[in-house]
Amino acid sequence: MNFWFGLLIGLKEIGAHKFRSFLTMLGIILGVASLLAMFALTEGIAQGMREMLAASGGVERVEINTKDPSEELQDLAFLSPGRTMDDVDALRKGAPLIDLVSPEMVMGNTAVSRSNKTIRLNVSGVCPEFAEVGKFEIEAGRMIGQADIDSVNRVAVIGASVADELWPENPDYIPLGETIQLNGTPYRVIGTFAMCESDATKRKREAGVSAVQDERRIRRVGKKKAAQANKYDTYWQKNHAVIIPVTTLFFDFRTASNADGSPNRKLDRLSIRVANLSLFEEALNQVRAVLIRTHRGIDDFGFDTREEWFDNIESSVRATRLSGSFIAGISLLVGGIGITNIMLASITERIREIGVRRAIGARQRDIFIQIVVESGVIGFIGGLLGLAAAGGMIQLLILLSPTENAPIITTSAVLISFGFAVGIGILSGLYPAWKASTLDPIEALRYG
Amino acid sequence: MALVELYDIRKTYRVGDQEIAALDGVTLSIEAGEFLAIIGPSGSGKSTLMHLLGCLDTPTSGRLLIDGIDISRASNNELAAMRNAKIGFVFQSFNLLPKFDVLRNVELPMVYAGVSAKVRKERAMEAIERVGLTNRIHNTPLQLSGGQCQRVAIARAIVNNPKIVFADEPTGNLDSHTGEAILTLFRELAASGRTIVIVTHDNTIAARLPRRIEMRDGQIRIGVEAQVSNTAPLAPSSTEVVAR
Repeated sequence: MNFWFGLLIGLKEIGAHKFRSFLTMLGIILGVASLLAMFALTEGIAQGMREMLAASGGVERVEINTKDPSEELQDLAFLSPGRTMDDVDALRKGAPLIDLVSPEMVMGNTAVSRSNKTIRLNVSGVCPEFAEVGKFEIEAGRMIGQADIDSVNRVAVIGASVADELWPENPDYIPLGETIQLNGTPYRVIGTFAMCESDATKRKREAGVSAVQDERRIRRVGKKKAAQANKYDTYWQKNHAVIIPVTTLFFDFRTASNADGSPNRKLDRLSIRVANLSLFEEALNQVRAVLIRTHRGIDDFGFDTREEWFDNIESSVRATRLSGSFIAGISLLVGGIGITNIMLASITERIREIGVRRAIGARQRDIFIQIVVESGVIGFIGGLLGLAAAGGMIQLLILLSPTENAPIITTSAVLISFGFAVGIGILSGLYPAWKASTLDPIEALRYG
Repeated sequence: MALVELYDIRKTYRVGDQEIAALDGVTLSIEAGEFLAIIGPSGSGKSTLMHLLGCLDTPTSGRLLIDGIDISRASNNELAAMRNAKIGFVFQSFNLLPKFDVLRNVELPMVYAGVSAKVRKERAMEAIERVGLTNRIHNTPLQLSGGQCQRVAIARAIVNNPKIVFADEPTGNLDSHTGEAILTLFRELAASGRTIVIVTHDNTIAARLPRRIEMRDGQIRIGVEAQVSNTAPLAPSSTEVVAR
């Protein structure tokens, strides 16, 4: 028998029992909808996490942090100068697998003020590479240049929120050329960074719920705590950046900041960017070889890579997706059982018809195909409606919670969900089809 | 060679631990173009005989040839192919598919024969014209009278141009007038050279047919059936008993 004829019979059969078919399909529709909605939600969450990772420099960014040297070297630890600008120079010359080196001296809790307005923030002394390694984008003006480093200029580049908070009366003001004081020392603003936010925050802002929610949260946890919580957020930190040339920070604030009055040359942060991710380990080995010399043989440094962060994102997404598909899969399975049930009822109703078809020459295979095509069609239509329902379900989720990560529907998720529906449709027809095709034609003709 | 040849056909059913012989050694041949009746009371084995002749079943033992093909041990698929190509059925209760219109019902055997849609329609229209229902092709069986339904069934039975048409009590559900018209149609078909076998318990119908085979207790009643072919070859050996 021709497949198209089977399809036609299937459609006719479904059309003849519209309501019954719809009820049967409902299981598949809801199963597909929840499967796809779940895929879209996890994808949205994963996307949000990947965005955050990318915003903080991506996987290729590696932090060189301090650690206790190995035990046999502990008595000699004082020999090491720690992380200094010497490391930066040595890395730039001796580690070709690293394309960017970004040192950072941090001055915590600095009074950043303009006329009578003061906020307290961390101020960083950096090199030009800072922007690229940290994925900062200049919105107006320019980034600190090598000339600023060499000439020890008193210039600053500030984050978008800093500008907003220092010039609250003038939203969206770009304070190029203005002077701000850092612990009383005047600096000229030469550039501002673009506002950096996640998709979720962006929508939150556009929906206008941000202020209300923030207020509610502050009321709940107290102002101080709320502000603290914010500071762990990559986006918050980036928007509150105040950066000045590393040399300027050293000469203005560090020349006598050690307890004994000597200058503090140590870097608070040292980030590098690996040029080629496929040579990640090699690059780290190179860095290790360089730094062990500048640190006079003391291994008082370690690497903080984002690979683990990245892996965590991927594995938690996988786990969420797995458990989600398991649950959605169960509802699809229930839908499939519904189809089997209806198909069994339907063939019982049609035993005589099956007998007639067999009598006029239908082979067992023809009957089998007919029933499987019918249940496959139910799965197919149910799958299509399910995709539409998933779209609706996702819109509903967005409506209910507009500030979370937007669900993302991927082609593969659509194909997988739809494929599952058709597959379940066909699978659930197999047993009824087998039953129908093995009916004895004589018995079937006599039936009823 | 005759169109249908049966040699010592036996068909037994097991009911519990008891064996019941529905057919108990039937030997028979039907020539091409014959128009005959198989008669007998219920339980005589005439239905079983028709099922075997109609390739719906295989005998427990014996040899059965239709159009020269031995189907005594044919597989399920071979039987289906035989039914499709060489046999037409007309049932007492018409057995049309209620969801399809007349045209589709008549086309159905050709669907399983793998005939193209265009040829299907042509040949179905011919068969429908032959039974005189050309103006009803788009009606469904529920919109037709019993006589019309049986005409559709006859069209369906002849559309694949089978070697032999079996009609099982074709007038049983019809009033006498309509039944008469159906019989006339059969007679016309027979006159145009078709082989037709009518299974009935109605002697008044059978009496008007050229040949009658009367069944009684699973056997052909001696004396009534006088035209049994004596050209039968060797009786089948016991190894030919079908083990199924």
